[in-house]
Amino acid sequence: MSSHILLVEDDERIRTSMRLALEDEGYELSEAGSGEEALELASQAATGQPFELLIIDIMLPGMDGFACCRELRRQSAVPIIMVTARTDTHDVVAGLEAGADDYVTKPFEPKELAARIRALLRRARATDGSAASLTFGELEILPEAGVVRLAGDEVHLTRTEFLLLCELAANAGKVLSREQLLERVWSYDYFGDGRLVDVHVRRLRTKVEPDPANPRHVLTVRGLGYKLAP
Amino acid sequence: MRAPRHPRLGLRNRVTLSFALGAFALSSALGAITYFAARSSILHDEQSAIESAAFANAASLRTSISQGYGTEISTIASIDQGSQSQSALYVSGQGWIFVHPTLHSPSALPRSLRTMAIDGTAAVQIIRFDRSTRIAVGVPIRAAGATYFEVFPLRPTARTLQIILAALVAAGIVTTVAGTILGRWAAGRALRPLRDVSQAALSIASGRLDTRLETADVRDLALLASSFNRMVDRLQQRIERDARFTSDVSHELRSPLTTLAASLSVLEARREDLPERSQKALGLLAAEIRRFQRMVGDLLEISRLDAGSADFETSVVEVGELVRNAVATTGGDVAVDVPPATAGRFLAVDKRRFERIMANLLDNARRYAGGATRVTVVEHEGSVRVLVDDEGPGIPASERARVFERFARGSAAAGSRGAGDGTGLGLALVAEHVKLHRGRVWVEGRHEGGARFVVELPLLDEGGDDADATGLESNPRAGRARTTRPRTTGAGRL
Repeated sequence: MSSHILLVEDDERIRTSMRLALEDEGYELSEAGSGEEALELASQAATGQPFELLIIDIMLPGMDGFACCRELRRQSAVPIIMVTARTDTHDVVAGLEAGADDYVTKPFEPKELAARIRALLRRARATDGSAASLTFGELEILPEAGVVRLAGDEVHLTRTEFLLLCELAANAGKVLSREQLLERVWSYDYFGDGRLVDVHVRRLRTKVEPDPANPRHVLTVRGLGYKLAP
Repeated sequence: MRAPRHPRLGLRNRVTLSFALGAFALSSALGAITYFAARSSILHDEQSAIESAAFANAASLRTSISQGYGTEISTIASIDQGSQSQSALYVSGQGWIFVHPTLHSPSALPRSLRTMAIDGTAAVQIIRFDRSTRIAVGVPIRAAGATYFEVFPLRPTARTLQIILAALVAAGIVTTVAGTILGRWAAGRALRPLRDVSQAALSIASGRLDTRLETADVRDLALLASSFNRMVDRLQQRIERDARFTSDVSHELRSPLTTLAASLSVLEARREDLPERSQKALGLLAAEIRRFQRMVGDLLEISRLDAGSADFETSVVEVGELVRNAVATTGGDVAVDVPPATAGRFLAVDKRRFERIMANLLDNARRYAGGATRVTVVEHEGSVRVLVDDEGPGIPASERARVFERFARGSAAAGSRGAGDGTGLGLALVAEHVKLHRGRVWVEGRHEGGARFVVELPLLDEGGDDADATGLESNPRAGRARTTRPRTTGAGRL
């Protein structure tokens, strides 16, 4: 069964060529020319066959990619890949903070994008939780069920945030470097963008830490990486 | 261009020296005038006192002589004792009568004084006698046909004059020193705008284009500052416009390139379905599109570096792991040699920039030298050197510095340019990335033939566990990294 992907891009030629290339990779694509259209399509699809992944260009007329991404995140944890025209800190970090799971920079090879899509979808389907339940103080993780509770209340995490937390939890007390996290959560090689980890850790903290400025669970180990306090 | 004359003395020193000399001349002149005025006034008073004493003594001598000669010697002796002077008497027709042992010859008295007094006019003169300044008085005693000479000491007066002189010299020294200090201060103050201007110019040359002079409140300087600032404004606008243009052009090319790349991959997936001629054309299209893509990528990268807006994200990494990963990602099966002594050392690098450095060096070797043969990591005086060796034709010594310039293609490579598909920016980017890491890059010849590119990066300081080096949090100074470091080529670029 092919995955259903929504492509949000205002340039019709890019949209068409990308659809052709991604269909060659075996995906089923829908297109949206604007953020507003994308939100409408997403909410329509939610009742029937929801999209499994979204590709959103940042530069859109009207509602831009960041806003579109933030809006989608309110309703869904669907994996999102941002398409940026720049690799500057501002665009990449803003995109990730708006809720994107990963990004690609124009011009990209369709194979590169396909690899990112595969990595996200594989993770999205993976349910490799071994333990039934992990507890760290007030924080409770149920890897199998995909549920995280803080002081008894369920916390809504995106799949990437959830996987990141599970990876840290599976190695609780041990430091994981950014490279290790990039490889295990995003399937990147050694030269993946460390900002992906940093921004996701930041986002994770706002959800699972009672006081995100003074984290008690997800800790930074200077010069080495991150760890989950046992 | 005229060779700059070697300055003998700094402007500030020269101004200071003139102030010092001026103060010295002025205080000397004033001192001299004061001294001589005081001297003549004091001597005048002294002289009148002495004259009246001499006249009184002459009068008493005349009284004594008028009763007949014989007692004059004892009278003179008692006068001498009374007024602590030395006297002599000249009697016409008889000659000199000396009483005091020190005054025993007429030559002690100046000739002009002698003749004047003997001719009948009383005279006073300051003389040097018996190793001190004295006042000699000659008084004619007409009634007795004699002339009376008396030499008075001047000691208290000389003391006063000495004190005045000492005071004036001291005042002169103080004035000169004060003048020197004032000169130095005034010169420093007057030259401050000049120093500000030169500092601002230096700072601009080192890449800080937002440097401006503060508008001075003095009118002449305000003009200088405002025209300087106007010049830098225009310079900055121009540089930014150029950088923006490159960046805009590259940006505009990104969208069509994305379409081209996607369409190309669709065509390539159906390569087998195409007739042979179309396959050939597709091959050409593919090669050129990929080169075009690389070129746009490199141009964007270099324009970001020029604009100083490039991210610089450091992480602390083990050198062996870093180099091995970089070569594995981009270089294929090149052997990597990391001696045990170097393995385990840490660098603070932007990993992805380092990957670009290695990728471009390996790519360059592949393009012009049949591929790199070995990558070696060695430690050298607090740095790590990554050596990329090839067995190609090598690079002539005269071209070694130039290969890192933009769009520089060596003469040897120019012949094979048709087949090459480099962007001409690869090594220039290597140089820029290395500079961002405060490292150096150069190329040398190998004894065995071929070229060796050397990238030297500073090792992380021992105990360098400060937040700067870890880079785990996103770097708030991203993009400023370049501008906060001195750039040797900054001036050239302006």
